Amino acid sequence: MAAPEVHHLFHNPIADHSFSSDKSTLAVARDTNVELYQRGGSKFSLTDELKGHEKTVTGVDIAPNSGRIVTCSQDRNAYVWERTPAGWKPTLVLLRINRAATFVRWSPSEQKFAVGSGARVIAVCYFEEENDWWISKHLKKPIRSTITTLAWHPNSVLLAAGSTDSHARVLSGYIKGVDQRPEPSGWGERLPFNTICGEFLNDSAGWIQSVGFSPSGNALAFSGHDSSITVVYPSAPEQPPRAMLNITTPLLPFNSLIWNGETEIIAAGHDCEPYRFRGDESGWQLAGPLEHKAGPGAGSVREESALNMFRQMDLKGQTQADTQLKTTHQNTINTTRVYEEAGGAVRKFSTSGVDGRVVIWTV
Amino acid sequence: MAQINYRTINVDAFDPDSSVNFPMDSLLPATLPAPSNASEAANVATQVRQVLRSGDAEGALRYVLDTAPLAGDDRAKEVHMATVVDVLQGIRQGEMTRVLDAVCTGEGGSERADCLMKYLYKGMGGSQAPGSGTQTPKTPGSPQLSGGFTQIQARNFGEGGSAQQMSVLLSWHEKLVEVAGMGTVMRVMTDRRTV
Repeated sequence: MAAPEVHHLFHNPIADHSFSSDKSTLAVARDTNVELYQRGGSKFSLTDELKGHEKTVTGVDIAPNSGRIVTCSQDRNAYVWERTPAGWKPTLVLLRINRAATFVRWSPSEQKFAVGSGARVIAVCYFEEENDWWISKHLKKPIRSTITTLAWHPNSVLLAAGSTDSHARVLSGYIKGVDQRPEPSGWGERLPFNTICGEFLNDSAGWIQSVGFSPSGNALAFSGHDSSITVVYPSAPEQPPRAMLNITTPLLPFNSLIWNGETEIIAAGHDCEPYRFRGDESGWQLAGPLEHKAGPGAGSVREESALNMFRQMDLKGQTQADTQLKTTHQNTINTTRVYEEAGGAVRKFSTSGVDGRVVIWTV
Repeated sequence: MAQINYRTINVDAFDPDSSVNFPMDSLLPATLPAPSNASEAANVATQVRQVLRSGDAEGALRYVLDTAPLAGDDRAKEVHMATVVDVLQGIRQGEMTRVLDAVCTGEGGSERADCLMKYLYKGMGGSQAPGSGTQTPKTPGSPQLSGGFTQIQARNFGEGGSAQQMSVLLSWHEKLVEVAGMGTVMRVMTDRRTV
């Protein structure tokens, strides 16, 4: 395994990050702005800032084909940013929510995006040509608490949502006139807007931190604040799932997960490093950390001079201040995203976290 | 006309959207065992003490964790809590790691580890001695708090025999984290199937 590529951008938490499809542009959410970095050689340098939100930006996503950027923030707004010769032009999207927006993702078709919020709704937004305006429709019904995370099914109709009411749900975000009628699957056959295709709660019931469909869309995984991962295989519409496997771990909770093929999940979170899970319908196991740790973590070039030693003794009463983690990330990982893949198998993925680092890992 | 002090009214209770009115029952999984009462818990206690007397500490701990009244009433939970503490106090310090390794591995091992951790936190947090479980009146629909999570209840300040009980629970906690990791502590906080 090649060494991970570490980009230490700044000393602030990164709420979310996204790469453009050609991987030359990196968008990171930092406080109330979104910063755009351009790759130059092996480094990313700051080139642009998307200013407009008044409160902490909670989500950013770059559409791979159109290049449009969607951002959402605790100020209850979402903007779609388009590149014009004069710079990035924001369009305000009326979400009609009265609490913070928490998470945003483009659908694979890029016709729609979904915004999770603290108002116990998911706003599914699409562009209406007639009025030149982004419209939002609310998914509301069974949600009892804040939406923390969302993931689109490959068919761009089904949407998985994780919530602080400890349930992971699969809902239909079908918009007439925008979407193609989806193929029937284990999740459902007829899928009008706000169809509930599944509602899952695991035994130890933590807040759901991350959800994800497998590349085929025929399985759903979610991680919760109970340090576990649950994988659900649906059977048929309106039926209980064929299998629902809960893997409790001895680790700290996972904030984000991605699928690597149908038989592997990579998850990362409060343990500051990614872990692998392997399995299938008959059972899943924690396979161990992805990172080979030897000695202190990256970016810790320690000063070993006599002066430094005495200074440490004077300041802290010890010669070695052991404040570095052995992992590459020095704090909680918030977001995990696929960076490079081929046919559903992940070759590289990127993580970002509270330590202001974006790291690109080779699987 | 009755005098009403409007400032003391808890307005959140009247807002159906308020978090105060969150249906906590919705967090209980479908796999929850059938409700049980104090006499069933007392039966279990008798059996556990028999196993313990026969010298099989590992079997006693395994049995007492497998029979935890997750859906029992308060009284059943108190009786079972006392049984668990008896078992834990009946195992010597040097034996702890060996017993834990045996109990927390194999089929259902991680569930037993999670369950034991719940009892450790309940034992360390709640000062409610068995039989005095009416300190916090529970209104229907209010969060089901087990002793460990609230700061409102009176604390155990370690007088007399309970100080010794604390130190036993603390050393169990240390050993259990070594064996089963931090994940068990996380699940004590999230799990609504309280003990």
